[in-house]
Amino acid sequence: MLKDISIGRYYQGDSVLHSLDPRFKTILFIAYMVAIFMLESPIAIGLLVVFMIILQILGKIPPKVMWNTAKPMIPILLMIFILNTLTIHDGEELFKWKKILITTGGLRSACLMSMRLLMMILITSIILTLTTTPLKLSEALEKLLGPLKVIRFPVHEMAMMMSIALRFIPTLVDETDKIMKAQVSRGANYDTGSFISRIKGYVTVLIPLFVSSFRRADELATAMDARCYNGGEGRTKLNPLHITGKDVVMFIVLLIGAASLVAVEKVLPLISL
Amino acid sequence: MAKPAVKTTDITFSYEGSEKLAVDKARLELEEGSYVALLGANGSGKSTLAKLIDVLEVQDDGTIEVFGIDTKDEDRFWDIRRNTACVFQNPDNQIVGTTVEEDVAFGPENIGVPNPELRERVDKALRYVGLYDRRESSAAKLSGGQKQKLAIAGVLAMAPKLLLLDEATAMLDPVSRDEFLLLIEKLVREKGITVLTITHDMTEASRTDKVYVMDKGMIALEGEPRDILNDVPRMLEAGLDSPIYSKLIWELKNVTGKSYKHEDCTSIISALRYMSDNFFGVKIKAPKREEISKETLVNIKNLSYRYEDNGRFALKDIDLQIHKGELLAIVGRSGCGKTTLVTHLNGIIRPQGDGDVEFRYGDEVLSTTRKKDIKKIRQKVGLVFQYPEYQLFEETVYKDIAYGPKMMGITGDELDKAVREAAKKVGLADEVLDQSPFELSGGQQRRVAMAGVIAMEPEVLVLDEPAAGLDPKGRRSMFETISKLKEKGTTIVLVTHYMDEAYEHADRICTMKDGMIMGVKTPVEMFENKEEVRDMEIRSPYLRRYLEIVAIKLGLDSVSKKNLLMAQSVREAALLIGGKDA
Repeated sequence: MLKDISIGRYYQGDSVLHSLDPRFKTILFIAYMVAIFMLESPIAIGLLVVFMIILQILGKIPPKVMWNTAKPMIPILLMIFILNTLTIHDGEELFKWKKILITTGGLRSACLMSMRLLMMILITSIILTLTTTPLKLSEALEKLLGPLKVIRFPVHEMAMMMSIALRFIPTLVDETDKIMKAQVSRGANYDTGSFISRIKGYVTVLIPLFVSSFRRADELATAMDARCYNGGEGRTKLNPLHITGKDVVMFIVLLIGAASLVAVEKVLPLISL
Repeated sequence: MAKPAVKTTDITFSYEGSEKLAVDKARLELEEGSYVALLGANGSGKSTLAKLIDVLEVQDDGTIEVFGIDTKDEDRFWDIRRNTACVFQNPDNQIVGTTVEEDVAFGPENIGVPNPELRERVDKALRYVGLYDRRESSAAKLSGGQKQKLAIAGVLAMAPKLLLLDEATAMLDPVSRDEFLLLIEKLVREKGITVLTITHDMTEASRTDKVYVMDKGMIALEGEPRDILNDVPRMLEAGLDSPIYSKLIWELKNVTGKSYKHEDCTSIISALRYMSDNFFGVKIKAPKREEISKETLVNIKNLSYRYEDNGRFALKDIDLQIHKGELLAIVGRSGCGKTTLVTHLNGIIRPQGDGDVEFRYGDEVLSTTRKKDIKKIRQKVGLVFQYPEYQLFEETVYKDIAYGPKMMGITGDELDKAVREAAKKVGLADEVLDQSPFELSGGQQRRVAMAGVIAMEPEVLVLDEPAAGLDPKGRRSMFETISKLKEKGTTIVLVTHYMDEAYEHADRICTMKDGMIMGVKTPVEMFENKEEVRDMEIRSPYLRRYLEIVAIKLGLDSVSKKNLLMAQSVREAALLIGGKDA
């Protein structure tokens, strides 16, 4: 039932993208996210998509995995699309029936918003979760946020918490699947019935899931204690982060990419004037 | 005599907010380099004692010295932790790293081992347990057995002197369990690590140097395994179990009215000597067997199941009839498709292609291929998954049991009756019904979960490893419950790794391998041909293997031997040998 969901799962591989420095990947990710929300022109968005596909190919991630990542988001995407279409009334009128009004502006914004959301999810998976192990990711965050330690921000603890949360996503997805099957055997129904009864149905999954998460947390804490975990102080790293030639090359590619995006978004309209 | 690795005075400890003493004047001493088992029923205080040794808890009274360091000495407490490693029961809840090597490195990273020594330690540990080729795999993708080996690699990378195993094999299948035990024994032998293993597995205990038995927080027995484990009445009293050979002699003495001394059978050899001294050349009658019905209740036809993502077959061309009123055991290695098969029985997974699962309901034939039949089938076929206690969710036991029948549309007095009867069938007392299920012990919780399925009054009850993780006493009482359900007419499908339990309780055994059915036979027939058994990748029950030796030692004629090998339980074997009607 839930086993196909890829959100938060690590996809094992030996690609360029896998071996990039996670600090660099985090910066790349933030830059990309900013771009998604700053850019509006279809050509610029198109370029972003092309860039994303290049990253996907670099990461050797099969389309099937990408599809599994996007699949669970389809209902939300549809909802955003419909809401935007129906509520934004800029531009020319295209269709009108009783209270329903669809305009070019509404459609444009609907496409843009759902596209942005979809790209957000996919890029998070491609750059971060699918190709970077949570431990590496938390290490990168710890390094990038390092300066905040000065103001006593618990950087290491935050990073550790995040990596454990990510590490447990697949385990909890499997567990949810098991619990759902068990409750379905007892007559629970998650697909049909009224909204309220479906919400009630999910209680039968959520409570056992919470209970087991607490138990897991407790056992994990004991196990970490037993393995001498004592916060970030004095820890060494198996694979310490260091910048390689690949990172430099990717950085230059990124700079060129960013420059071309700015050109497309800002300069192109000026020229056509 | 070697130095002690752990030495304690009388230890007392109770958890915060609990008046009950979890550990009550327990005293223990582990010699350096020894392999020691700590046995006891669930809740007897074993795990707590282990936690005290690794300073995960601190005792109220008494002192514990680990390699000469007092656990209360706060300055040196990290020295104890560094030298002591633990492996716990649930493999999933002790993995911190995402990839295999990241997880192995977690411990040494914590104590600040620098590179390149760190890399060396990790690689060496992974090679030792045989996971080096998987070092970059995602840890979540390993099998249960591999995850426990990963935990051991994490231990080795810390280079500890003491290893505490807290039911580390409880969630493994017999093959993985054997591999794990061999690995531990290798550690003791080659690295001189002191090992304390907490276990419910008596075979595991019999392979150690010394055994402690805990009962209600106290050390009830200690000594060499052969002296402790063969004391059948004492072991039963502590909620534990004994080896087959001593149990057979104990039952024989019960049958013949003699008193049992465990000195008679401290080893297989002395047990066999006792047998041949007293019962040489006896004539053994065939045990009586009741006829079981051949009326088909569930008919599985041409069932195959392929995974969507990789196209691999989980099930292939399954044809199987489940008879009304029987207990059918399904056995086979982990990953052979047992669970996938039983998940088809109530339509949680619908048949692919032209496969079909039919259920005879009076004159009607229901099929899981038809959507409208599914609800009825779910009521008639109850499925209890592995570790069902993890699915409880209601405020009270009563409400939780009532959930299933309520969803089936049962209300009012009828609902109340269904709940109470189901609770009674699984042996839950009335006063438990108003409690929160989360306050109960693990064993009780499992019974609540079972009652929740039984309350729907299913005709077929499917149990996936119902006794997994229970102590020997819990296992016995679980099977008593199952036998009672069967007597009342419920058809039972039992998925299990435990061949002896399948052998004792099943009317027929269905063996699976690589998604296919290798054979469906009565238990006695299933294990007659040794080559077949080997091909099916299962192993004969301990009882049967032992009785084969007994038959030779007693010099039985071929008829008597055949009759003896029809015994499906120790008790039955004792009755046959003792000349009483079985």
